[in-house]
Parts: sequence; C-alpha cells; structure tokens
Amino acid sequence: MAAQERPTIRSRPLTLVHEIPIARIKRFWDGLKEGKVYATKCKKCGQLYYPPQVDCFKCLGSDVEWVALSDEGVIETFTESHLKPQGFTHYEEPYIIAIARTPEGAKVMGWLEGISADKARVGLKVKITTTIKPDGYPAIVFKPTETS
Amino acid sequence: MRKVAVIGVGNSRFGRRDDAILQEIAFEAFKEALEDAGITQEDIDLSVVGSVGTRLYESLPAVPINEYLGLVGKGPIRVEAACATGSAAIFTAYNAITSGCVDTAVAIGVEKMLEVDTPTSTAVGGRGGNYLWEFHMFGTSFAAYYALFATAHMAKFGTTEEDLALVAVKNHKYGAMNPKAHFQREIKVEDVLKSRVVARPLKLYDCCPISDGAAAVILASEEKVKKLKVEDPVWIEAIGFSSDTSSLSRRMDYVGLPAATQAAQMAYKIAKVGPKDIDFAEVHDCFTIAEIMAYEDLGFCKKGEGAKMIREGETYIGGRIPVNVDGGLKAKGHPLGATGCSMVYEVTKQLRNEGGRRQVPLKNYVALTHNVGGHGFYVYVMIFRR
Repeated sequence: MAAQERPTIRSRPLTLVHEIPIARIKRFWDGLKEGKVYATKCKKCGQLYYPPQVDCFKCLGSDVEWVALSDEGVIETFTESHLKPQGFTHYEEPYIIAIARTPEGAKVMGWLEGISADKARVGLKVKITTTIKPDGYPAIVFKPTETS
Repeated sequence: MRKVAVIGVGNSRFGRRDDAILQEIAFEAFKEALEDAGITQEDIDLSVVGSVGTRLYESLPAVPINEYLGLVGKGPIRVEAACATGSAAIFTAYNAITSGCVDTAVAIGVEKMLEVDTPTSTAVGGRGGNYLWEFHMFGTSFAAYYALFATAHMAKFGTTEEDLALVAVKNHKYGAMNPKAHFQREIKVEDVLKSRVVARPLKLYDCCPISDGAAAVILASEEKVKKLKVEDPVWIEAIGFSSDTSSLSRRMDYVGLPAATQAAQMAYKIAKVGPKDIDFAEVHDCFTIAEIMAYEDLGFCKKGEGAKMIREGETYIGGRIPVNVDGGLKAKGHPLGATGCSMVYEVTKQLRNEGGRRQVPLKNYVALTHNVGGHGFYVYVMIFRR
C-alpha cells in the first residue's frame, strides 16, 4: 500500500521546564559534585533509603541522617541504550545504564563507562563515581575495577 | 458481592491512525461494543475513560471523549495506571457495579501516541518511571527498563536472544491473522536477531510498536444481564491487583515482576482456580522478555523456565496454554490505555467461540488477562468464565 499524505493541523506549542525544589535533598545533589552518592537513614528506626527520602514510611519519622554509600559496587544488570529520549539526543554514543549493588545493600543506577557492552557482565566489580556532564547535568558513573 | 458480566466489546483498528483524532477512534470501539451488546447509550449508567494521555494535546481527554460518544451525564471518570490503564478502567467500572452503585458501565480505553515525534514519545514514556532519580540523570526508557530485566534473566536462567525472538515470531504469526493488528505479517527468528539494537539485548523486533487505538468493554450486573436478555455473557470471576516501586533500584531482583505474582495469586484465590485451569491467556508482552516473565509470574511454569515454554511451543494454539493469539502487544500494538480493554475484547470473543481462524480450543471456558503498568508499577490479573 502506497504511503498516503493525510491532512493535519499543527497544535500550538507547549514548553514545560520545571524548577524542582531540592531544599530537603540538597545533600544528594551536592554529593554528586563531590564524587559521593548519598542515601538517607532514619535516625529512629534505622531504615536505609536509596533513592534518598527525608520522610520514613516505616516509622513516619522525618529525622534522617545522610550517609555516603561505599564506592564499591557489583553490577546486577545493565543495558546499552541506543534509544535517545528528548533531552538526551545530544549524547552521540549509546550509553550503558546499569544497576550496581553496594556493600550496604543499596542498589544504585548509573552509567557504566570505560568498558564496552560486549565485555560488560552481571557480577562485574565497579567503582562508583560521579561526574558533571558537559551539558551541566550530574551523573553517577560506574568504572570497572576488574577486567571482565 | 453482585456478579458482573461483559456484555459487549469493541476494538478499533490499531496502528498509525493519522486518519482520525482521539474521539473518533474511541467512537469506533464504542460503537462496536454498543452493537455487540445490542444496547444504546440510554442503557449505560457510567462511563470510565482510561487514557494515559501524556502525549495528547487534550489535557483532560475524558470529557471531550464522553461528549463525542453521546455519554454526557454518565460520569465520566478518568483513570490512569500507566500501561495497565485499560484494566484499571475495567476495575473501576466493575466496582461501581458490584457495589450496587450502577447496573451498567462502560470502560473505554483509548490512546493516541503517534501525533508527537519518537524522541518526545520516548521521553514522555521514560519520565513515567521515576523522573527525579532515574530519567533526569540516566535517560531511561521503557525499552531500557525491560532490557535490564532481560540481561538479568539471561544471566540467571540462561535465557537467550533466540528465546526472546521466538516470542516475537509467535505473536507476529497471530498478528498476521488479526485484521485489527498494527503488524499483520509473519517474521522469522533471523529477522528479529538482525533488527537494529534498541536497548541491548532488546532489538527492534523485541519491542511492541508505538500505536494508536481504542477498545471498549461494557459491563452489567447479573440482574441487568437477565433484564437485557443477554445471550452470551462472559463473567468476570476475579480481579487481582498489586503494585510495585517506581524506582527500579528499590527492587529485590530483575528477573520477574512480584506485583504480577501477587495479582495472579489474588485472582486465582478469588476465582478458585489455578494456572492449570486456564484455557488461554492474554499477557502483557510489551517486550519479548515480558512475555517470558509473565509465564513464570502467572505460574504457567516454574521461575526460570519461561524460555522453555516458548521453545517447546506450549503457548501456540494447540499447545498447553495458548498466549496472545491476537498478536499480543508485540504485533497487535500497544496503545497504552486501550491495551487492557483490548485484552478483554479478545478474551470475550474467544470464550464465545468467535475467534475465527485464531480460535483456541476451550475446555474449561476459563481465560486470564495479565496487564502490567510500567515495569510492574501496576498489575491487574483478571479471570473470566463463560
């Protein structure tokens, strides 16, 4: 069947850009600039939260301490994404999204760098670091500490 | 609790529907459902509109849809549960009837996804995970999320890329026999393996298409079924539901969807049946790995043996438990809000023996739908009987 030109009209454009308040979670975003990934721990019941949250849903307390997670991780799973959503189309190469488990039992999402997807594997040991990308956005980055 | 039956179903053609606006494709499905039930809008007490709607120019789609369908004054309630929105709409309509609030309700699932470009659609979808802690930093998408499950499943159970491809091959075979499907052509394992990588190990043919479409399901109480003299009601035996975290990093593992297991156990318990009693199923195969995990999460096989089921052809018509014989999300298409309603459309037709060339053999006249929102955020498992 030949492709058919169908008539359309264009909607009025809508731009949505949010100013996201980080007053209560600033430690996390500052941590990324210092090379650290922070979780929260409820001072009352000890529950660890990653991603961090400042209210404990277990005991309903809102007194948490910020704890820097260990920089040692083990890859639980990963994918090399060739799909570029709006906001990421300026990244030229595919990026590897991975999840690493820390000794504290937290699971951290990050970009796996310094290894090809062919060589990456579940169980790979990595160092958990952070970076500020050239576009100004921070990221958590995993670097292999062993050869695959 | 009052019994509830499906008395009418309708399904628009799925695919790139640049011939129609949202309301018009909703009408296609709704008209078919009304005619199937042999009733008019007068007989309907409540309208529930399921639309994720995040790609639309209409911010509040339920109202214009309700107006277009001639349902002003009957609700509407707008429902959203990610890719399980259609099932959530049915659940809402069902509860309004079991509670005695209304006698008849329609669930209309509808989505237009192709009016925006692909990077926009991918972003709107990806931001449906957990924006702040995942998308913002890592550009996650649903293909990437399911790829993370695929990698873990392959590492733990030895599932292979060929196994994933076999799911696509099966579902395309049935899509080719479904005139309402987005993709109506058969494919081979090599086609899948050679298609371009989307999110490793998932390739283009491991992924459902981005589709437009609508489906409608009309429900009625037992009393109303008698009053309307409905000849072939399909009874909703059970609706099980559960949910999970939005953050993938808060999951125990990446080899299954616990919410699906929980929803299935709830549904089996209410319906007093087990996986062995199910004649056939419609499962949420948004990506090929999702169908393999569904076999396991629903108890059709043991955890880790999903790939074996597709390798041995157990989910084909004539196999132990046919799955997605309408082409599934993979070939029929996945217009988010429509999907759950479309699953019930297929189940109803099959249970009435109206499956045509794709008719499955019926033994117990019991069927199951499994509709997942996101990567397991929401799961609805429904059991039907005729």
